[in-house]
Amino acid sequence: MDYGYINARIRGMHSRLFDRKAYDALIIRQDIPSIITELEKTPYKKEIEEANILYSGITAIEYALRKNLVNTYRKILGLVQGELAEKYIVIFLNRWDVQNIKTILRGKKIHASQDEIKECLIPAGELDEATLNELLKQPDVRAVVDLLATWEQPYALPLTDYIDEYSENRDLVILEYALDKYYYQKALEAAKGKSTEEKIVRRLIRREIDANNIKSVIRIINDNVDWDDAKNLFLEGGLRIDLERFEKMIESGNLESALKYLDGTPYYFLSYLPPEALASGRISVFEKELDSYIISNNTGTFRLDPLSIGVIIGYIWAKYSEIINIRIIARCKHAGVSDEDLEAELIHV
Amino acid sequence: MADVATAAAAIQMAGWEKPIGAAIAFAAGAIGTAWAQSRIGSAGAGTIAEKPETSSSIIILEAIPETLVILGFVVASMIIIMI
Repeated sequence: MDYGYINARIRGMHSRLFDRKAYDALIIRQDIPSIITELEKTPYKKEIEEANILYSGITAIEYALRKNLVNTYRKILGLVQGELAEKYIVIFLNRWDVQNIKTILRGKKIHASQDEIKECLIPAGELDEATLNELLKQPDVRAVVDLLATWEQPYALPLTDYIDEYSENRDLVILEYALDKYYYQKALEAAKGKSTEEKIVRRLIRREIDANNIKSVIRIINDNVDWDDAKNLFLEGGLRIDLERFEKMIESGNLESALKYLDGTPYYFLSYLPPEALASGRISVFEKELDSYIISNNTGTFRLDPLSIGVIIGYIWAKYSEIINIRIIARCKHAGVSDEDLEAELIHV
Repeated sequence: MADVATAAAAIQMAGWEKPIGAAIAFAAGAIGTAWAQSRIGSAGAGTIAEKPETSSSIIILEAIPETLVILGFVVASMIIIMI
């Protein structure tokens, strides 16, 4: 496959990502309308103008960012269509399908309105906006699963297997875990070969599985779930976190001891978080650190071989982190958070 | 008699070796240029698609591998003229 053309285009797109100066220009703005004005001078111009017609304030920014992310990912999918790389890029874009299905299931469970759920969807994967709209129209969780099964969507397989168990317990974690397990299994199957592309993709997927397992451990310890139930939440295929380490971490009983088991792994930084973060037991602190690690690690693939799939994957994650950072800036300005606290929240890649 | 035959054979060999050598020198340069230009061309097309302002630089980069074929041509000429 000729990565020359595709990677040159991706590099061109990468050169338009925000640099430090562009972030500073947004941070010095004091309110949402001035952030919108600033964004109109950037590659988000088209989406911001469209959003300004439909919405106002922070909703317009959120809409424009979602739209821009979807447009960018669709463009990448168009570039690799019919090429060998398509198979691997689809793996990374399918995560949005999983995320969207989870969002719809959560929304349906708490009886959120269609508009509320729709605001949280990012149709950047293979399930397009029309498909997601149809899913949104369903009255409950079972109807969503049934519709996916009728369409013979692959995600219906794990959901139909566990829907009866969900109906008994009313615990959405069962379906979410089934979706995650299915996604990662399919991803690892698709990248099980020995080519450079498959090695890069497999390493990233396995690292993500590790991050998800660590997040599960933190939640399990926080909620005092016993091992018999907890072991069902383990995702196989991780790079450094196997079932044995997973069990030891959970059996240790408290967060501080559990995180000590991460010494010698790339995730050791979690056990060196400030003591107040450990004491507070706030899951979000650990999840944010892990997400930042995964984003910066995956973005780093951009600097691998310039004629490899790493450039495309690196860009996908760099774009994602840019969107997150702009959202953080907009949300913090909306909530009146100080610039120092805002800076601390940003993801630096 | 044997000396005359050897000399004739030597003259005959020099007759076909020179053009073959020149052809190899030129062909290798041409193949190298073609390969380099195809790679630069596809990457250049991608770059221009995203950043049209880079088109002049890309045209210059696309022309650089021409030096290879020119070098091949010079070597081929030297083989024919000087040997």
